[in-house]
Amino acid sequence: MGGKITCTLGEVKNRADFIVYWGGNPAECHPRHFTKYTLTQKGKFVPEGRKGRTMVLVDIRETLSAKAADIFLQIRPGMDFEILTILRALVKNQRVNAAAVAETGLTLEQLQDVVDRMKRAKFGVIFFGMGLSMTRGKHMNSAGVLSLAAELNEFTKFVCMPMRGHGNVTGSDMVLRWSTGYPFGVSLSRGYPRFNPGEFSTVDLIVRGDNDAALILGADPGATMPQPGIDHLARIPTIVLDPKVTHTSRLARVHITTAVTGVSAPGTAYRMDEIPLPLRPILASPYPTDEEVVRRIRQAVATKPAWAPATHVTTPFS
Amino acid sequence: MLRITGGRVYDPANGVDGVVKDVCIADGRIVPQVEGGRTIDATGLIVFPGGVDIHTHVAGAALNFARGLTPENMRRGLPFVHTKDLRAGLGGVTPTTFATGYLYAGMGWTTVNEAAVPILSARHTHEELHDTPIVDKSCLVLMANNEIVLDLLEAGEVERATHVVGWLIWAAKAYGVKAVNPGGVAAWKWGKDAKVLSGPIEGYSSLTPAAIIAGLAKIVDDLKLPHPLHLHCNNLGTPGNVSTTLETLKILEGHRAHLAHLQFHAYGGNDWGTIRSEAAVLAEYFNTHPNLTTDAGAMLFGDTVTITADGPLEHLLHQLSGRKWGNVDVENETGCGIVPHTYKPSKLVNAVQWAVGLELLLLINDPWRVFLTTDHPNGACFWRYPEIIRLLMDAEFRKEQIKALPPETLNRTALADIDRQYTLSEIAIISAAGPARALGLSQKGHLGVGADADVALYEEHPDSGILFEYPRYVIKGGDVVVEEGQLRNVSNGRQFLVHPAFDDQIEAYLRPLFQKVYTMSFDNYPVEIERLQEPDIKPCA
Repeated sequence: MGGKITCTLGEVKNRADFIVYWGGNPAECHPRHFTKYTLTQKGKFVPEGRKGRTMVLVDIRETLSAKAADIFLQIRPGMDFEILTILRALVKNQRVNAAAVAETGLTLEQLQDVVDRMKRAKFGVIFFGMGLSMTRGKHMNSAGVLSLAAELNEFTKFVCMPMRGHGNVTGSDMVLRWSTGYPFGVSLSRGYPRFNPGEFSTVDLIVRGDNDAALILGADPGATMPQPGIDHLARIPTIVLDPKVTHTSRLARVHITTAVTGVSAPGTAYRMDEIPLPLRPILASPYPTDEEVVRRIRQAVATKPAWAPATHVTTPFS
Repeated sequence: MLRITGGRVYDPANGVDGVVKDVCIADGRIVPQVEGGRTIDATGLIVFPGGVDIHTHVAGAALNFARGLTPENMRRGLPFVHTKDLRAGLGGVTPTTFATGYLYAGMGWTTVNEAAVPILSARHTHEELHDTPIVDKSCLVLMANNEIVLDLLEAGEVERATHVVGWLIWAAKAYGVKAVNPGGVAAWKWGKDAKVLSGPIEGYSSLTPAAIIAGLAKIVDDLKLPHPLHLHCNNLGTPGNVSTTLETLKILEGHRAHLAHLQFHAYGGNDWGTIRSEAAVLAEYFNTHPNLTTDAGAMLFGDTVTITADGPLEHLLHQLSGRKWGNVDVENETGCGIVPHTYKPSKLVNAVQWAVGLELLLLINDPWRVFLTTDHPNGACFWRYPEIIRLLMDAEFRKEQIKALPPETLNRTALADIDRQYTLSEIAIISAAGPARALGLSQKGHLGVGADADVALYEEHPDSGILFEYPRYVIKGGDVVVEEGQLRNVSNGRQFLVHPAFDDQIEAYLRPLFQKVYTMSFDNYPVEIERLQEPDIKPCA
């Protein structure tokens, strides 16, 4: 297992005749997804638009998105990995255990039907949300769905994409990758980048109380972190940069109001398919941009004496 | 002002071959004389023009995908510790941006050409190039599977296609045109490839890879771009592909062209069991066709990751090796595939590949037309260039290495029979003077008056691998960046691009078409010139 077979959203618009949403509710969480990229657009090779596409929704409850789907598969909570594994077996014409199928909330006929449709598709895509990647099984579920899409390429064209949200989370992932080599969970405490999800990822670090200060940008962990993490952020010097007062601002020592990027500040945002879009300000703001605040903090820090003796610092090629 | 005195100077572009003479620098350029200023005593050192990498993958969506896909490789990369002057980073197979600048400069290379940029994500490539310090940069846009261009070529509208290509180059703020597996990546959007040059491409009624190659070569010539069409041929990396390569070269007759990473296109045999080197055949062709240049794309044994816009090739590699596979299809333009790979000296296929890269460098007689590359990171990482230099300069060492390979290698390649050894002057040609000339960068790759003051000073050593590994001094644009082997002074690089002549009315044609098939607003598509670090627009003439 491993790898990722994906595409930019225009490929879906132009070619996809079979679209699966798994563990997400795009109708309410990504409300433009159907109309801009996937279902209703007329594509270069799907000229009939919605009629030329089949949509399957896999979820544990019937959300508003089910109304848009041709097929709704309501699965038992926490069974994503098992279902993905059964689908992968069926793709390869392997026998599957009836008892295992019975656990999933679906019938073998339903599962076989999905597999047949996947193989018949000219261009298939699976979008997966946090209902898959953040529930029982977590990263194993993501590996399962990515492997399913990769393996379908033995039969037809098939791709897979996570439904990312929260503003420019993809942009943060991209910049961290080119500057440190890793997408998240990076520690620079030894002076060079190290990666260990579970040890250095934000939630684990904060819940354990390993950090003794926090600078929070473009996120509101005070609203989403487990309680021990929230308690820790309230205990340490926490600084929030945000255009609005957030839950985190209320427990922080310092809140700095900044201009809204894309409204009053320029920049770049990366779409969920990692395509960069330029952001151009349309209104003036009395507040500084995030970049300006961070730059001024850096300048102020640079005037402080180094905390580590110079002998601890090595340079390359020495 | 700076004077480098007492060193043995190798400046083949100006006919200087190991002569002890002064090199004078003022305002970032080479000048005839300086009065005062600093003097570097280069006695016992050899003085080279800064290296120029004509084909490398150091920035952009594909490379960043590879970084994210292979944390196990990043983990083993050389750590760069944050200091007052240096940014933190990692070396290794896919170095981080800051480390990339440090590693190239730390080896004496001062100009790099990023060889594969989708226009749709060119803004991202420029963000990474912006964060790649010291070296000067240029980049090439992917055009041989751009469906707007392909549709025009199929309709025979070459003139309009020329304006579109010109507009697209400027939109991406690029320096030239790259063609990868012409038609094959477009076919890959339907899970197919384009393996026959004269056959119609999947999804098209009459358009063939041959027509795309001929069309783009003409368009690049008509736009008078300083760098010719930069071509990655069809059927990369497969046994027997030399016939495709030769057919491609015949299509290119009458045009300028640069053939990328020729090592991957020079195989005979019918399958993986019978693969053999056909480097001699290609070298023979090159020796008689001065319209062509190439870079070796040499391969060295070890772990790496393969990254290419050639999506179907990576699917094949994934099927062969069973290792993890990344793929991104980019709407209407191109694709990208990634598979980690290990080249093993015990494997006959890899042994043949290793030999082919060296054979090409040794059998193409004119060093001005074959350049030192590894198609980083595909054949090996760029920071391993000194290993290749040693293999080229030391025939005895090379023959020793062959002995460690499967004996059958001797029947499949002619490397053991080649006695040629590169001279220092020839190394300066394939690593600096030649690629600069092929890129059309007249101020790079030499030490004549008016050239950019990019200079590398190496300590003489009988082992050329060691000689070229760590320069004692590196001067970039007149700044001493490496001093006594230490990276001390980190400057920003410039970026080269072109603004080809095209009819402005072409936007009126492109806009409605674009809005129909893309998911980005047409006005957001072109990269703003303000995003480039020190842009330097080169003339098209």
